[in-house]
Amino acid sequence: MTSIEVHDLHKVFQTKRKAAGLGASVRALFKPEYREVEAVRQLSFQMESGELLGFIGPNGAGKSTTIKMLTGILHPTGGDAKVLGYVPWKERQKLAFHIGTVFGQRPQLWYHLPAIDTFTLFGKIYELDDRETKKRIDFLTEAFEIRDLLETPVRKLSLGQRMRCEVAASLLHRPKLILLDEPSIGLDVVAKQHIRDAIRRMNQEEGVGVLLTSHDAGDLEALCKRVIIINHGQIVYEDKVSNLKRKHLTSKLVEVRYAQEVPANFHLDGVEVLKVGRYGVKLRFDTAHTSVDKVMAHLSSVGDLVDITISDPPLEEVIAKIYREAPTRMSRRE
Amino acid sequence: MKNFKFLIALWKANLQAAMEFRSAFLTQVIFMMVNNGAYFMFWVLYFDKFKAVQGWTLQDMMLLYGIAATAWGTAAYFFGHFTTLAEVITQGRLDYYLSLPKPVLLHVLASRSIGSGMGDIIYGIGSFIISGYLTADGVLRFAIAVFTGVCIFISFLTIIQSLSFWLGNTVALSQIALSAVLTFSLYPSALFNASTKFVLLTIIPAALIGSVPAEFVRAFTWQSPLQISAGAFVFLLLAVTIFHSGLRKYESGSAIQVEV
Ligand SMILES: Nc1ncnc2c1ncn2[C@@H]1O[C@H](COP(=O)(O)OP(=O)(O)OP(=O)(O)O)[C@@H](O)[C@H]1O
Ligand SMILES: [Mg+2]
Repeated sequence: MTSIEVHDLHKVFQTKRKAAGLGASVRALFKPEYREVEAVRQLSFQMESGELLGFIGPNGAGKSTTIKMLTGILHPTGGDAKVLGYVPWKERQKLAFHIGTVFGQRPQLWYHLPAIDTFTLFGKIYELDDRETKKRIDFLTEAFEIRDLLETPVRKLSLGQRMRCEVAASLLHRPKLILLDEPSIGLDVVAKQHIRDAIRRMNQEEGVGVLLTSHDAGDLEALCKRVIIINHGQIVYEDKVSNLKRKHLTSKLVEVRYAQEVPANFHLDGVEVLKVGRYGVKLRFDTAHTSVDKVMAHLSSVGDLVDITISDPPLEEVIAKIYREAPTRMSRRE
Repeated sequence: MKNFKFLIALWKANLQAAMEFRSAFLTQVIFMMVNNGAYFMFWVLYFDKFKAVQGWTLQDMMLLYGIAATAWGTAAYFFGHFTTLAEVITQGRLDYYLSLPKPVLLHVLASRSIGSGMGDIIYGIGSFIISGYLTADGVLRFAIAVFTGVCIFISFLTIIQSLSFWLGNTVALSQIALSAVLTFSLYPSALFNASTKFVLLTIIPAALIGSVPAEFVRAFTWQSPLQISAGAFVFLLLAVTIFHSGLRKYESGSAIQVEV
């Protein structure tokens, strides 16, 4: 079952150029001036129900714009999309009963009210009966560990605490799909982990599909099975996360320390030497071209090894490389 | 019916939020009642000198203030975003309402409560009670007048502010429209000439909120209730239509402001 189907989705923003004030309003009425920005360009992809899909891309790539079209907030300039069988911008209300949304930069919880009050209000908005709402709140407070936070006005919560409440709120009506736009923005490592765990749990237990955007490769690694990388409003890469790692995480970083001094002319074919110190070296090589065996043999032939660390480069770097290699075009037309 | 339940829940949330700042709320309410009373002193002094103007007496002015203040107060207290809709649109704050499964316009409007509106309501009802038109039949007509007044206040400002879907920021324009409709609703239309009256019945429908309904409460004719109901209906229809066609143009907002 597909839960999202997108074909050639396109969005051009016409940014109005207008000075402030009444006079300018009147002038703009008769002679508007626009600047066009192509935010999303001929985007096509599919998402299966229950899938964990990551949407990654640099600032201005069009991630938020895409999510907003898929929830019916924005009308597209062209193309089609179906989410759970509904055309979002035509059947917005019907769709809203079945999806949950979180915009990391735009809180949904009422600022001056304790989260529990917004939860109750959402219960009414989603037309749940009161008993059901209560049961669901109990479950979610446990899953997101927010029991102690519920009674505090949201304005007094830390960002991490608030975000947990936000994500919990988006799940109140048992949606089949949640769309999260940068749920981990501004959170520290622990808070991110917390949210990721809870989201993963909801996916496993209730089969909620998750489409999430992020700048953070960590979200991708921890949560997503599949990734779509977009830049300048277009897909530049689309694959399983495991494949992404297998194909692109082929280089290894190695750091060694020796008991003796290292010869200054340390060299090995097929290996990039990043740093040679008095007692240690740091190098990088690609397992596709140079075997691990060969490197290890050479390293131990140089002297007595005291310590060795082998690591993968951060996924961040891999993604940055994909951005760089992708065909780039100007995203703006004047 | 479902939507009514939902409105009640929203109003409850608004009240809960207001109760977080209880004393501020009470101050607003009392201040607004005093404020309205002070304005009205002008008419007390005026009629003390002239007794009646074109058949209007101080009693009639109390009635007019009663209707307009109650209508304004009800709109402000229960549908408070009707004065700030333009900001909600231009700041991209409709996102929230658009991601929830309820009629957007109703949801936005009812999601804010202006505390001072309660002061207007209390003042307005008080003013009606002492105006001398307090009969069973008068109360019914007062209720109808207030109801249509609320519709017209909200619709008129929704129409004006929906222009920001096309024009960007129209907060300045909205402010002018707001003070115009509010000010003119507090004058008896008997004071104006025919063309001004025409404007006040159509483009700035202030007379449909103040003096026409007041006429209707003073004495029953078929003309005035028809006029205000037709007016309320047309304005409401226009407001909903214009707002929804504006939604297609809605650009949300990622805090992007283009200054030129
Ligand atoms: N309301 C708007 N009006 C005009 N241009 C817009 C609007 N919203 C977004 N854009 C433009 O569209 C492009 C895509 O923006 P979008 O917010 O979708 O990017 P994003 O991938 O979410 O970026 P970020 O990671 O910074 O959140 C950008 O060039 C942005 O300037
Ligand atoms: Mg974004």
